[in-house]
Amino acid sequence: MEKRPGAAVCDMTTRLPVVLGALFALGLGLPALAQEGPIVVYNAQHETLAQEWATAFTEETGIPVIIRQGADLEVANQILQEGANSPADVFLTENSPGMVLVDGAGLFEPLPQDILDQVPSQFRPENGNWTGIAARSTVFAYNKDALSEGDLPTTMAALAEPEWQGRWAASPSGADFQAIVAAYLVLEGEEATLDWLKGMQTNAVIVRGNRAALAAANNGEVDGALIYHYYWFGDQAGTKESSGNTALHYFGNQDPGAFVSISGGGVLKSSQHKDEALAFLRFITSAKGQDVLRDGQSFEYAVGVDHESNPALPPLAGLGAPEIDPTQLDTVKAAELMTEAGLL
Amino acid sequence: MAVSVDLGATKAAKNARSLGSSGHPLILGAAALTGLLSLLPLGFVVYIAATSGWGTIADLVFRPKVGGLLVNTLMLLVLVLPLSVLLAVALAWLIERTDIPFAKFWSWMVIAPLALPAFVHSYAWNAFMPRFHGLGAAVLVSILAYLPFLYLPVAAQLRRLDPAQEETAQSMGKRPIEVFFLVVLPQLRLAILGGALLIGLHLLAEYGLFVLTRFDTFATAIVDQFQSVYSGPSANLLGGVLVLLCLGLLGLENLVRGSERYARVGAGAARRRGRVALGRWRCPALLLPLIFAALSLAVPVLTLGRWLWSGGAEIWRFDFILPALGQTAVLALAGAVLTTLAAVPMAWLAVRAPGRVQRTLEACHSYVGALPGVIIALALVTITVQVALPLYQTLATLIFAYVLMFLPRALVGLRTSIAQAPVELERAAASLGRPPVSAIWHTTIRLAAPGAMASAALVALGITTELTGTLMLAPNGTRTLAMRFWSYTSELDFASAAPYALLMIVLSIPLVIMLHMQSDRVEQA
Amino acid sequence: MLELRGISKSYGDHKGASDVSLVAPSGSRTVIVGPSGSGKTTLLRLIAGFEAPDAGTISLDGRQLHGAGGSVPPHKRNIAYVAQEGALFPHMSVGDNVGFAMPRQAVDRARRVDELLEQVGLPAGFRARRPHQLSGGQQQRVALARALAQKPDLMLLDEPFSALDTGLREAMRTMVGDVLREAGIASVLVTHDQAEALAFADHLVVMRDGLVADAGPPQRLYERPADVETARFLGEAIVLPSAIVGGVARTALGDVPVRHEDVARADVLVRPEQVVVAAQSESSMGALGRILHRSYRGAQWRLEIDCRDGGVAEPFCVDVPAGLDLKPGDLVRLSVANEAHVFPDSPT
Repeated sequence: MEKRPGAAVCDMTTRLPVVLGALFALGLGLPALAQEGPIVVYNAQHETLAQEWATAFTEETGIPVIIRQGADLEVANQILQEGANSPADVFLTENSPGMVLVDGAGLFEPLPQDILDQVPSQFRPENGNWTGIAARSTVFAYNKDALSEGDLPTTMAALAEPEWQGRWAASPSGADFQAIVAAYLVLEGEEATLDWLKGMQTNAVIVRGNRAALAAANNGEVDGALIYHYYWFGDQAGTKESSGNTALHYFGNQDPGAFVSISGGGVLKSSQHKDEALAFLRFITSAKGQDVLRDGQSFEYAVGVDHESNPALPPLAGLGAPEIDPTQLDTVKAAELMTEAGLL
Repeated sequence: MAVSVDLGATKAAKNARSLGSSGHPLILGAAALTGLLSLLPLGFVVYIAATSGWGTIADLVFRPKVGGLLVNTLMLLVLVLPLSVLLAVALAWLIERTDIPFAKFWSWMVIAPLALPAFVHSYAWNAFMPRFHGLGAAVLVSILAYLPFLYLPVAAQLRRLDPAQEETAQSMGKRPIEVFFLVVLPQLRLAILGGALLIGLHLLAEYGLFVLTRFDTFATAIVDQFQSVYSGPSANLLGGVLVLLCLGLLGLENLVRGSERYARVGAGAARRRGRVALGRWRCPALLLPLIFAALSLAVPVLTLGRWLWSGGAEIWRFDFILPALGQTAVLALAGAVLTTLAAVPMAWLAVRAPGRVQRTLEACHSYVGALPGVIIALALVTITVQVALPLYQTLATLIFAYVLMFLPRALVGLRTSIAQAPVELERAAASLGRPPVSAIWHTTIRLAAPGAMASAALVALGITTELTGTLMLAPNGTRTLAMRFWSYTSELDFASAAPYALLMIVLSIPLVIMLHMQSDRVEQA
Repeated sequence: MLELRGISKSYGDHKGASDVSLVAPSGSRTVIVGPSGSGKTTLLRLIAGFEAPDAGTISLDGRQLHGAGGSVPPHKRNIAYVAQEGALFPHMSVGDNVGFAMPRQAVDRARRVDELLEQVGLPAGFRARRPHQLSGGQQQRVALARALAQKPDLMLLDEPFSALDTGLREAMRTMVGDVLREAGIASVLVTHDQAEALAFADHLVVMRDGLVADAGPPQRLYERPADVETARFLGEAIVLPSAIVGGVARTALGDVPVRHEDVARADVLVRPEQVVVAAQSESSMGALGRILHRSYRGAQWRLEIDCRDGGVAEPFCVDVPAGLDLKPGDLVRLSVANEAHVFPDSPT
């Protein structure tokens, strides 16, 4: 007689409608559950750093944190599109422009003075709608075999000169680099910026991501990479896989290449858990929160009042960074110019 | 992006007539609803194009950057497809038709790269040769990652060909090489076209592979735009161009294929007897599969092994890995069950009530699988955020996206198994007083259950390694294996990414086994 | 003339052919018949050159195809091969199939194709059709036309009718036989169907377990087979152990004339058509048997008769005229008409 290989699964088919119903209920119910209790952090900072903050915060307060990961401007635009219905409570970025974008739409809750007081005024906008949470410096990581100290560019502008053609790498599609361009725009004006970007379009080896740029300099594909400092320190502390052959060059002298970018944090007006959200922001700007920057593996600069950064880093104050009001950084214009130069 | 390796065994049942028409309306309605929902992404692209206005389109689409993307994409297609066809046919012929040593072993090795998601391939190459990127790397890694999509149908077709044809041709005075070009190759045409189409669609849809090989395509540019401005006109219009490319590819394949359908004439099992003796070429011939396996398997496995080793115990962050594994499992399971269920009405109609309406509906079901995940995700993000906010960022939307992406994959398997269930059982059940839908459910669908389980498994595996759609649509707090892997890899933290790659590979091994078995079965079909 | 000498071929443990020698006369229609696994198809493939024998020589019309001097590859043998189901090329039209072996630039190609199609009984309009649009019989006709097109020195037919319906099978067999005779092409046909073998062959080779069990004219093989198995394979056989005395075999069914010297014990072959059945009421001569079953055949009854009491080991079937009204359970008298055959290697 014929056997029935399908016999076991047959019972499944009878139960499938039940399973189906259950799954739909689960599918619809989960987001509702997610919005109960825990705070939702839209995070464009490095995931590991945000996770460290979240874990420490939850340990201290018992308030769970859900992190949604994205890129600065992606998340900023997402918040804009979600508007008043945004599920986000807190927004953290790597650079200021994303914060400026959301602030411009009036979606941030003004921060109480006690939070603002935890961060010196040069690291936050005057209106007090958001605050700096960390900082990073522009650097030129160069391959020690390819360049000696005498060969190094003295200004960022020099990298657009013909002799640097094909010799340096950068990641223009990222928000990091777009912030650097926005700083250039503030300091040098539109025309000079466009010229520089066109020079870059000719000269630079375009990669995706700062680490990839660093790796390109390290393996000798290019002589140097225009990146943020902490990628280099992070790699040095680890395997040195992408930085073993490289050293850092700080432009200093208030050059655009010495631009220090401020990572921001803010609480959304639409938040259903404002107290918890503010507590989170208060926590990461507090000494404890900033300790994570000092003691952890992020190598980003701490910005808390009188707070030490990671001892491996040269002091922030001594970098000769140009003074720029973060609210002046216009990435929309910067992106426009980059598109015009063919970089985007 | 769906992988539906159609081995060509599908054939609608001969007696397609079915129950009294009373069985149809419900099933037809269900199939129509699924078909209609499948049109959502296409409708979205059309809507965006229509509402953007010519000025915006001209500004955002007709610019040098898009031209560059187009050139890149075409270069990719023009290089990868012919090379893959050559390689796949050569490998399939060596392994299926010659006395190459360890043929059985090679037949596994050649499809084993399927166990590695494409972005894991490029991850390995990126770590193995950091300076290897650009077009060359994109082409090489694409070939390594996608070759099984061509190899499988070509090998299956080679096996299915009646050996008597070649023998007859030989006895008629044709030299072996003439026999290959006159008799064998023409009959591989459909298999080659189908496989090439599948690879072509993957090339258009793939994101991770090309990011890591530093090669810009429409998919990477769309995600770039998305990450700069979220759901904006620029990303959406690039999406429109990408959809046009996909449809162009489908149309091209249809055009080249024409109305030709090769069927094996006559019945009875074809017996394969002798294999071509390679003689003194027997050992040199080993080089081809050997090199392919070295590049497509040894490189990833060794690189992964190196990272796992150097990462030590530290990279096994089970507090991250276990939730990611759990979430991936829940998504894969829920997606697989719903996708398969959604495909049932269409599959049933395709077998039992073929006709014009059915063909149109089936086309709706199938085309959506040709769309890149990034398009489906873009459409659903925009639609939910703008008009269906309660569904925004929900599990329901994500799973709906999976259903759309993998519908064709489920359909192919289901159709085959329903075709094998005799229609008489439905009639018998109906004559015993069952209402039509119940009659179908308790006879045909029950008998088709094992086949349905297999196609559900294929869907689940597809979801396990899905990246772009998940990145863009996942509810807050979702971190799947692919997402974790990707976030580490994009920071070049290869060691931390390694456990996730390993898990995805382990989970994908059943896929390889199933496809291998499926292709073996063709022999008896 | 096709000549095989000492051909052996084995697949692992399985012996496909062991030390087979056979000769197929020029212009003859040779049929190799045997049960499945007997090695008949192996032999055909060795002749075609699809496989090489482990030992032995093959020659055709004096030309050595395989032997000490090496092996002629199949495409140089000019031996046509018609596979079980025709093996038409599905990607080509009927015309291209038939013209496959012709030179591509041949001016009279189209005309030749039409001629060949006509020869196998297909209208010229079939030229444009695709193989999958043809019935099984039509496919075989095309396959035959295609094989004829190459003007082969020998045509091999591998179970060419086995996929066809019974009625069609006979018609096809006649057609193929006629076409081959007209074209003057020698052929070797392989089949497992003894009726087909007897009908088609003018030279019959019976194979069993990789060996040639018997070979010769079909009538001789049917009437005077070399052994019991061959006898049973070619038709219904009643094998009666008997003593032979003075040209007469003393069998359970009575005395039967044989051509054989005296021997104490020999196996005698009686074909059912030799058995004479009479109702018990009408005859008192001969062995007594009992009718077990009967089935109606129109012109005849087929009776299954039990004669175990009389010394016949197994029940056997005999056809009797429809007028003879015998029912199951009836007793009948049995005798044998005409000469019987004594197996040469009968036990003594």
